[in-house]
Amino acid sequence: MHCLIRLNACRTAALAAVLLLGVGLVPSPAAAARIGGRTTGAESISSATWGATASTTSMTFTSRRSQYSTVTNSGVVALVAESFLVTVSTSGPPTPTFTILACTSAWAGRRCNGGAGTQIGGTFATGTSTTVSAAFPVAVGGSIYLGVRPAMGGIQATTITVMPEVTAPSQVQAPVKTNQ
Amino acid sequence: MSDHRHTIKKERRYGKITVAGLLTTSVALLATAGVYAGLSARATAAESVTSGTLNLTLSPDVGAGFSNFAGKMAPGDTDNVYVNLNNTGTLASAAGMTLGVTGLPANALTNGSVVGEGLNVTATQCSVAWTLATGVCSGTTTPILATTVVSAMGAGVALSNIPALVAATGQVAHVQVSLGLVATETSVNGVPPAATIQGLTTTLTYTFTEQQRTGVATNQ
Repeated sequence: MHCLIRLNACRTAALAAVLLLGVGLVPSPAAAARIGGRTTGAESISSATWGATASTTSMTFTSRRSQYSTVTNSGVVALVAESFLVTVSTSGPPTPTFTILACTSAWAGRRCNGGAGTQIGGTFATGTSTTVSAAFPVAVGGSIYLGVRPAMGGIQATTITVMPEVTAPSQVQAPVKTNQ
Repeated sequence: MSDHRHTIKKERRYGKITVAGLLTTSVALLATAGVYAGLSARATAAESVTSGTLNLTLSPDVGAGFSNFAGKMAPGDTDNVYVNLNNTGTLASAAGMTLGVTGLPANALTNGSVVGEGLNVTATQCSVAWTLATGVCSGTTTPILATTVVSAMGAGVALSNIPALVAATGQVAHVQVSLGLVATETSVNGVPPAATIQGLTTTLTYTFTEQQRTGVATNQ
């Protein structure tokens, strides 16, 4: 309809379109000067997951009886070490301190494979938040067993959280090189 | 009677006019044809020309070549793939070869969305075929791509030092393509951070591109 009314404008537009089309169709000297070769290959890749999960992360003590937590390698790569963020809080006083012992098998009472277990870090005092490392290799699906014990002082509804952390690459298995 | 004679005369006059017109038209046409005939000239020569081809092929050097990596890559792991790049065309290539790598789907492995983490690629050429079992080159190695994050390779990056492909046609480059994973993140109680590199899958497409040698002017 517009073209019927404004014929000259339409002619100009059509001419411009033809010129633009011509420019697009005619290859520039630069484009025509070289040809390229291309080849492709495809490879599918997946990344691993790493981490450790505690059966219990928060333990509240109202007596001097030890409490336990099982920490399992829930990732798909072996671990060479783990870290634990330990936080102790109480409404005290009194303000008890705690020790954490690790065992590679399940605790039998207060005994670990006939021994006392391996202490992780030092003594954890009330009101502190500390990250400690433990160099326990744990296979995929494997576990280490933690025992948390009040070390000294009276007990006054004290809560201790033991949060496992795994940081890559330092705490995961040694790098693997694959030739395929 | 008089009218009839008048009509006959009229018809004859029209006939004469028609004949005269036809004659004039014929003369004009013949004259035109004559002019064209007089200006036409032709000379011919033949030259046979064949265009060259630029053809780059990719095939396994040793092992499976590019394929699916069965394992799960952990930080620091390296996946080495050995491929042959072969210039099978009739034209030599120029030095400006590039390698582009893209991932589908694009995710933290390939798009740089987690700062400091992701896949990277290194490429090395060996003067002879690689040894698959050890990943060792028994000849001379030539680095052609320093370690580069995949997130920066979408548009292609220039490869360097590719003598075997710059030369004449039919040359083969034995290339080790190493894929690595960088990750520095902490999982807390088995849960990875919100922005994570863990547990992702992507299919990488490697695209090698070459350009033909510089055009040659021949005078013959």
